[in-house]
Amino acid sequence: MITQPSTPAEAQQPQLAQGAVIEARGLTKRYGTTVTALDQLSVAVGPGITGLIGANGAGKSTLIKILLGLLAPTSGQAAVLGHDCVSGGFAIRTLSGYMPEHDCLPPDVTATEFVTHLGRMSGLPATAAKERAADSLRHVGLYEERYRQIGTYSTGMKQRVKLAQALVGDPRLLLLDEPTNGLDPAGRTAMLDLIARIGSEFGISILVASHLLGEIEQICDNLVAIDNGRLLRADSISSVTQASAVLLIEVDEGTELLLAELSRRGLAPVAYQRGLLVQLADEQTYDIVRDSVADLGLPLGRMEQRRHRIEELFRQDPAAAASSVPGPTTGAASVS
Amino acid sequence: MSADAKTASGQFSTAAVDGRAGEIHNIGYRRYDGGRLGRVQIVRALMWHSLRGAYGFGRGAKAKIFPMLLFALMCLPAAVNAVALANNPSGGAIVSYDGYVPSLRAIVMLIFVALQAPNLVSADLRNHTLPLYFARPIGRNDYPIAKLAAFVLACLAIVEIPLLLLYLGNVTQQHGASEVWAQTRQLGSGLLYGAAWAVLLASIGLLLASLTGRRVFAICAVGIPLFFSYILANALTHIGQVAYGPAGLGQPSTLSSLAGLISPFTLLGGLLHWLQGSPATTGQFRPNDLQRVIIGTYGPWYGLVFVLLLLATVGGLIARYRKVGVA
Repeated sequence: MITQPSTPAEAQQPQLAQGAVIEARGLTKRYGTTVTALDQLSVAVGPGITGLIGANGAGKSTLIKILLGLLAPTSGQAAVLGHDCVSGGFAIRTLSGYMPEHDCLPPDVTATEFVTHLGRMSGLPATAAKERAADSLRHVGLYEERYRQIGTYSTGMKQRVKLAQALVGDPRLLLLDEPTNGLDPAGRTAMLDLIARIGSEFGISILVASHLLGEIEQICDNLVAIDNGRLLRADSISSVTQASAVLLIEVDEGTELLLAELSRRGLAPVAYQRGLLVQLADEQTYDIVRDSVADLGLPLGRMEQRRHRIEELFRQDPAAAASSVPGPTTGAASVS
Repeated sequence: MSADAKTASGQFSTAAVDGRAGEIHNIGYRRYDGGRLGRVQIVRALMWHSLRGAYGFGRGAKAKIFPMLLFALMCLPAAVNAVALANNPSGGAIVSYDGYVPSLRAIVMLIFVALQAPNLVSADLRNHTLPLYFARPIGRNDYPIAKLAAFVLACLAIVEIPLLLLYLGNVTQQHGASEVWAQTRQLGSGLLYGAAWAVLLASIGLLLASLTGRRVFAICAVGIPLFFSYILANALTHIGQVAYGPAGLGQPSTLSSLAGLISPFTLLGGLLHWLQGSPATTGQFRPNDLQRVIIGTYGPWYGLVFVLLLLATVGGLIARYRKVGVA
């Protein structure tokens, strides 16, 4: 629990905000005297899905370990769900589920047995652990396979078991460390969809660490970027990418006709892969596209909003990134 | 057009399957509002899980072969005693509680500890499962403590249950409350001494097994030191008797008296002799003295080394899991 300030010196320090899922203030972790994993990191994370972005060695895993109360910070403080990470480790670990980055599954046990056992370790009574293990495995998309030994699973299925064991104790918060590690593109998409579903439908807050910025964009509400243990940026995805939305339109036939029509109506469409990209200025852009497609009588296959790739937003300062050309457009330009 | 129709029907069927699957499996997320176990109860659950694992329960039939075989072997003297006593009630018991065929017990326990201690700890090390435990509401020391408690109980079972069978065999041939009471008192001291075996061997076995994640290496890490120290202790005792002879009248040489400290099995034998004040102090064994450990005047050393070794191994086990990586 967050203690009330008792001395003037403490009172001067701003209190950890109420309602924040994760809150760090001046968090520093040094290994020995030379290695600084976290350096004066201050950040507040609200409910929803939050991406924790950083290169390998940026301090993501160290932060997660501190948040779980497994590692004591050198200085500064952190709180998870209102519990201090140093004094409230037990409470935090009751309320949160952790999916490590590396392999952590025994090959000679069935997924059901494994997740049930870890459900017990999360504090569930025997019957509840069995029920929730079955539920969790079903939620991550493992059905009959769950009675098979984990050693026979594909990488994608193993990642799902790792997620299921984090989910089994009915956590308020999931800490996922590189959940798409080692997955093929289809597996990545499936895993990200699953995380998005857990975040939106199950009402569980999620902190998902990744070094792949493009992935995070798809599923996160908020973003925390760290580099060398320092905070680069923490903001909502929409505010980060607001100024740079584009609309992707795909028609099954007559792409050239549509290109000409949209140009005539004052948009500046660019050919991109099998479709067209237009800058999304306001609501009117949708109407123009709809009317153009309807007037030409073309079969509209897809219309979706796209954003800048987040890499660009962190590579440069936000103002410069907002004025730069959207990533997909430059890609198409080089092709044509 | 036919291609279009095919695509359309293909899309339709896929959508139908997805929809149906969604209906069946999309039961929605259910919260857990029931009670949760406290830290002590979680540790107890882990201990129980590990104890079952020590005898191969919850795993395949193959995993049960060796523990069951060893258990049966350990019960054999009790069975023989019961049969002998039934055939010749006046002959008295041929197996005692304290000296429950120490050489058999040493060999059985050596194999049991070497084979089963790795089952409790090396899989979690090899598969890097420990971070999943540490990310749950238990403390850092709780894992090794639960494992140690489980293995002590597993060793107690194989050491003490044969003693209880021996007791049953003896008691059925006794007449009168005083004889039964005498048996019960002997059983009590036998159980206490058996507990010393279980506690010491379990902690030594787990510490050595936890040094490596590979099961085969772990078996060697436990078995080889236990086996060779036993051989060495017996050899040195013998050499001490032959080369140096008694140090004085009715007093064995220093080498013979101290050699027993080398191996946990002879250490436990010496501990018994010291506590009982038995003939081992002189090195003059009667034919039916099965535990041939000479302690001379160094009896207290056996008590001291037993306590120190126990503290060192338990402390070492806890230190081992403090060092292990969190994630």
